[in-house]
Parts: sequence; C-alpha cells; structure tokens
Amino acid sequence: MKHTPLRNALLLACGIVLLFLIFWETYLRSTGIGISYDDGPELWTHKRSLVTKEQDRATVFIGSSRNKYDLDIETWRSLTGEDAIQLAFEGTSPMPVLDDLANDHSFKGKLMIDVTEMLLFSTNPEDSRLAKKGLDYYKNITPAQWFSFQVNKPLESQFVFLERDYFSIKALLKRIDIPTRAGMEKEPLFPIDFGRISFDRQNKMSDKFLKEISIQDSVKNIWSYYSRMGAKQPPPTQQSIDSLFQVIQEDVQKITSRGGKVIFVRTPSSGVFLQIEQQIFPREHFWNRILSLTGAPGIHFMDYPEQQLICPEDSHLSPTDAITYTKSLVKVLETEKGWSFPNKIKSN
Amino acid sequence: MVFNSYTFIVFFLVMMGLYNLPISWKSRKIILLLGSYLFYAAWNPPFILLLWLSTVVDFFVGRALYTQENKAKKKLLLVVSLIGNLGMLCFFKYGGFLLDNFVLLVNALGMDYHPAKPNIILPAGISFYTFTTLCYTIDMYKKESKPVKSMLDFSLFVTFFPHLVAGPIVRPPQLAPQFESPKKATAQQIYEGLFLLSLGLFMKVVLADGMLASPADTVFGAQKSLHTLDAWLGVLAFSGQIFFDFAGYSTCAIGVAACMGFTLPENFKYPYAATGFSDFWRRWHITLSAWLRDYLYIPIGGNRKGVFRTYINLMITMLLGGLWHGANWTFVVWGALHGLYLCIEKLMQDRFKKNAVPEDASAALSGWKKNIPTGFFKAMLVFFLVNVTWVFFRAPDFTSAWRLLIAMFSSVTDSIVVLTSLDVLVVTIVITVMVLFHWRMRNTSVLQAAAKMPAWLLGIVWSAMLILLILSQESSGSFIYFQF
Repeated sequence: MKHTPLRNALLLACGIVLLFLIFWETYLRSTGIGISYDDGPELWTHKRSLVTKEQDRATVFIGSSRNKYDLDIETWRSLTGEDAIQLAFEGTSPMPVLDDLANDHSFKGKLMIDVTEMLLFSTNPEDSRLAKKGLDYYKNITPAQWFSFQVNKPLESQFVFLERDYFSIKALLKRIDIPTRAGMEKEPLFPIDFGRISFDRQNKMSDKFLKEISIQDSVKNIWSYYSRMGAKQPPPTQQSIDSLFQVIQEDVQKITSRGGKVIFVRTPSSGVFLQIEQQIFPREHFWNRILSLTGAPGIHFMDYPEQQLICPEDSHLSPTDAITYTKSLVKVLETEKGWSFPNKIKSN
Repeated sequence: MVFNSYTFIVFFLVMMGLYNLPISWKSRKIILLLGSYLFYAAWNPPFILLLWLSTVVDFFVGRALYTQENKAKKKLLLVVSLIGNLGMLCFFKYGGFLLDNFVLLVNALGMDYHPAKPNIILPAGISFYTFTTLCYTIDMYKKESKPVKSMLDFSLFVTFFPHLVAGPIVRPPQLAPQFESPKKATAQQIYEGLFLLSLGLFMKVVLADGMLASPADTVFGAQKSLHTLDAWLGVLAFSGQIFFDFAGYSTCAIGVAACMGFTLPENFKYPYAATGFSDFWRRWHITLSAWLRDYLYIPIGGNRKGVFRTYINLMITMLLGGLWHGANWTFVVWGALHGLYLCIEKLMQDRFKKNAVPEDASAALSGWKKNIPTGFFKAMLVFFLVNVTWVFFRAPDFTSAWRLLIAMFSSVTDSIVVLTSLDVLVVTIVITVMVLFHWRMRNTSVLQAAAKMPAWLLGIVWSAMLILLILSQESSGSFIYFQF
C-alpha cells in the first residue's frame, strides 16, 4: 500500500504531540505543581447558575480574593451541612455581582459580602471589569459554551499543563525577562505558589509559599505596585462614595425584602496592608456606615480575637488559618447573628 | 458553535461517525442537515427559525423564478425574494443604525425625537447565508443555473455547517450539485482536511487570539494619544489578527468539508502579497469580492458604460461592501478608501496603457526591472495603504480613528506607550514572518507546498502547530467575522 506524505506526516505529528505532552505533564508534576482550575468566566458562570437551584441549602459569597482564600469550603460544608457558592472575583469590586443578585427576583437566599474597602468602595471601572465579564458570560452563555465547559471539566481535573494562567503560551512568554520600555512599568506576575484554585473556586497558598519568605515578599511587592497604580487614579469624590452607599443600601433592601439574608464580613488583613487600609478607610466612616445604612449585620475580624490571624503576605490567610477562620465565622453566625443551618443535623 | 471549541471536536467526531455509516445517501444527507442545524442552534436556538424561513422561501421562489415565463410576474418574484432576504438583513443588522441616523437627521432639522433604543440581536452568519440564498434566486432569475431538485439538497446548500456562519460564500453550482450523488471522502481528502483544520485552528487560536488580539485591543482601546510606534504596531497587529482570524475560519471550513468529501471554494490567497488593489481583492475574502463583482458591480454597469461610470460603479460597490461588514459609518469609510484606491489604480493603469513605451524599449526596461524586486515593493506599498484602511475598520468611532492616524503619522506630544516590550517583539516577529510568508507563497497553495515537503519535515511542522494549539488555551469564543 502506498503511503502518502500527508498520512505519514500525520502519524509522525501525532507521535510527537503525544510524546511532548507526556514529557511536559511529567515535568510539571515532578516540580511539585498540582492541579489548578482556570478561574475564568466559564467556572464562575457554573457557580452562578447554582445560586437559585441550591439557595435553600447554600450560602453565596461575594467579594474579592480574600473571600476566596479565607473561606475554607470543606470546613464550611462540614460545619453547616450546606454548600458555599463562591462568586468572589480576585481584585474586583463585588458591586456588579451584588447588583445582579439584587435584581434577580428568584434569589432569596443567604449572602455574605466580603468588605475589602479599597475594592468595594472603588469607583474605578477597571476594578469591576472581571465581574462584568463574568456576568456578561453568564447572561449570554450559549449551549455550545455550556457543553465545552462540561468537556473541559474532567480534562482540567487530570492535566496540570491545561492551567491557562501559568502554562499557556502567553503566560510562559510573559515570564521571559525582557527589559521594560521607557515610560512603562512592568506589570508584576503573581508567583505560581501563591494561589492554586480548586473547582469550588477556593484559592490556596502552597507549602512552598508558606515556607519561603522571599516568595511572600514578592507578593507584598505586588501590593505595593497596585498601590502605586491606584495612587495615580483620581481619588473618588465624596458624592461618588455617597451614591455607592446608596446603591448598596438599595441592593441589600431588595434582597432582604424578598426574604433573603445579607451579612457583611470584614476578612482579616495584617501588617502594612492593614495600616494603609485603616488610614484610608477608617472603620467609623465605612464599616460602621455601611452597617447602619443597610441595617444588615456584620462580622469584623478585629472584634474577634480568634479571627485576628496573620496573613503571610499581609492580605490573605494561609490554608490552615482559613480553617480556623471559617470555624470562627460559622460559630459567630450561629451564636451571635441568628443564622441557622437546618441541614447541619442531617449531614453531621 | 465555533471550530475552536471542545464542543466542535465532539460534534465533528460524532458527525464523521454518523456520516460514514453504511446507510443510504439520503439518510446521510439528513444526518448532515440535522447536524448543521444543531451546529447553528448551539449558538442561539431561536434563530434557527430565520434560517428555515429563508431556506423555504428561497427554495420555492427560486423554482418559480426559473419556470416563470411572464416577465412581470418574474420581476415581482425577484422583488419578493430581494425584499425578503434584504429586509431580514436590514432589520437585524441595520435596524439600529438606520434608526440612529434617522434620529440624528430629524434632530438636526429641529425636531425633538428620542425613541427607545431597539434591542436587536444580530443572528450569527446572517450576512453570509443571506448572500448565499440571494445569489441562488438571482441565478434562477437569470437562468444561470438550474434549480436545486430537492428541498433537502437546497437546505444543505444553504445550511451545510462548515460554510454556514462565516463563509466561504458559496454559489449554487459550486456546492448544490455535490449533494446530488453519494459522497465519501478519500483518504487523501481526509488527510488534507485534517491538515487544513489544524492549520486554520493554529491561525485562529495561536496567532490571532494568542499573539495579536491583545496588542490590537490595547491600542484600539486606548483613550489617549499614543506613541507612534505603539500606534503602528497596534494597527499591524490588527492587520494580522483579522487575516489569521478570518482566513483561519475559512481554512477550517474548507478542511472540515474536505473530511466529508466536499469541496468549498478558496477564500484567501495570501492577500498581503498583493501588488495592487484589484490583486488584493482577488486574494482577500475572494468569495465576497466575486459576489459583489457578479451581483452588484456588473449588474449596475461595471465598466461597460464609460470611464466615469466605471469609477462611480467601483465606488458604489466598495461603499456597499464596506456597509456589508457592519452597520457603522467607519465601515463605509473603510469601503470608500478601498474604492478610492481601486479608482486611482485604474486611472494609473489607463494612463500607462496610453503612454505605452515602444516594444524595444519595453524589452530593455523589463530586463532592467528583473534586477530589482519591484513586485515586493509594490506589495509593501499596498500593505501599507491597506493598514491605513484597517484603522477605520477596527476603530469604534471616528474620534478614535483620527487619534490613531495622527499618532501614526506625526509625533504627538504627551503621547503614551501602552505596549509592553514583549508585545513589540511578538507583533514585529509575527507580522514580518506573515508578510514574508505571503510573498513566498503568493503563487502557490498551502497543500501544494505541503505535498512538496518531505513527510518528516511536514510531520514536525504539523506537530509544532498542534502543540502550540494545545498550549495556547487562549481563544475567544467567537470569530471577528461572526459579527458581520
């Protein structure tokens, strides 16, 4: 039988591709890197679609990355017998998601809003970009996109190399050290050990990150970079902040009037980060005001000694401290805030 | 659904399995048709009704047009078809645009009229399948081809999933007869199809989305005056992005069709190697250019009604061609610039013909010309001028377009840099390689070139494309031309 060049080329190509992927996957695993999910609009949309279906036995979490690091979902499940639907976005204001839930008449469940002041009270549109992208995808998802997600899910759970944030061509190219152009500041890249992401959208620091101070410092430098960038933006006016409070009040009112429950949570921060936050966003002008204006309860980590934990890079908790924090959170919710978890008895 | 998705991979494998079942040709065609509807409905199911409506109306109108001998009735039928097809296109694609311009006009006349903004969703591929059905009815009117015998074959002609959403725009004689007799892809067709599918996905996912989309978006989205280098690189990035995106889609479409034993017309032929603007339009979106030539330029007179009318006809064709791409005046300006280029080119050609040098001198000149690469310089000039037109094509409004053009052609004080060193490097390398590759390949095709390569080398190239494709994981859920 005569073999055409294309047939032989195809066989050779398949062989090379297979060998390369085996090598690449084995190499990545040998460096200690585990599975991490792509936390794009697809996964967020999957979680958002669970809100109405599971609201009787789940709490919805919105906010920024602190929620994603500090809430240990397994601990939450084991203590409450309920699920935690994580809808927070890294580095993003929760306002677009709060608006979406407030205007979703089918949502009557429990909502926990993470208050990271510099994001919640931000009027910079860039701080809402990821949330708007996620919402846009959720509202316009096509059957084909839904199906692609179902196919992608088992693949991502098996192969490390499918992690887009670190191992896509673009991500690999970004890590090449090229001199920066005059007039530009190089955008810093988060170290891979800072956040491994589960299918529940929980972020966890790796053991290596917790051991190596230099990696923790590199993340602290990233906070400094964003702080410098933020300082270049015009500060929000009092009027814009007042109107933001107004929107939060209206949104909370919409949810509670339907029978939903809303609680604000100030998750821990420490070190220089905390000092800056306290300076720019004094508690009495922001935290106290939001509670008095909305009438919703709140849990501030400074009010509970067991929640005053040290963040390795000043802003997020380690996986072990996330368990401690989540246990305290559930305890406060039950004992002080009147939250009950009816499924707890059944499952425990 | 889009070719660059897991859904399509599953769909394609299932379709290949079902299509090759040992059952009757009619049953296989029904499978193909149902699959095509599924392919379309996977994007937005309700719009499948529009596709059905268009198919049913044009099948019966087309047949009536062919058999009708009464000229008045025949014209009436043609008008019905044109109103049906173009009316649908106008409503969905130009409804908002027409209303906006009407409001601007009446407000300028002093009337205070502010209607609610219509919320019209553009059905994917409507411009493409409308042109496909339109050319069928016009052909029937002119008796240029015979009516498709069965509704099944006609539905497949309109709906066949590889070309449905973004072309190539097929003519009845190019595709409809292929459904008449049983088809089975040969092994060679399958290998060629898979190669083209890999190449098309590589162009779309790795080059368009992975390498060029981000710098182009950054530059065209900038709200401030840019540094000249950034402005140029952004425009060059877009010129590459739109080529790799659209030519990538067409290559995938041709490859997928080949895997099933069908042949779709070529849609791109290394356009950035064009040495003139008429040459450019013979290489860029070939099926649309040919459609506009045969169903618009020639019917309005072409070059048969004198020099002046030829220029007018060229401009009308290109203006409407621009508007076909999108309901925005920026697209009209893009078309106008191309029309202007074509007119100037024609004017120069006519002048040169008049002032033709004597044969002996001409021979001496051509000998001299062989020593300098004039063709390549011409191609670079065309590429440069085409890039200027892309500014209007991509910019969201005229303010952004002017700001970018000013940055490209003058040194602006207080300009900002937005592209990283990596962006500069990637765009420079990709665009340079693209232009050289177009020039090298301008008189051949990728399959011809592949056939000449040793299998081991082709295998390495193929595997490199696949590896980069798998590692890219960076793909938008759409193709640029889906919005047109």
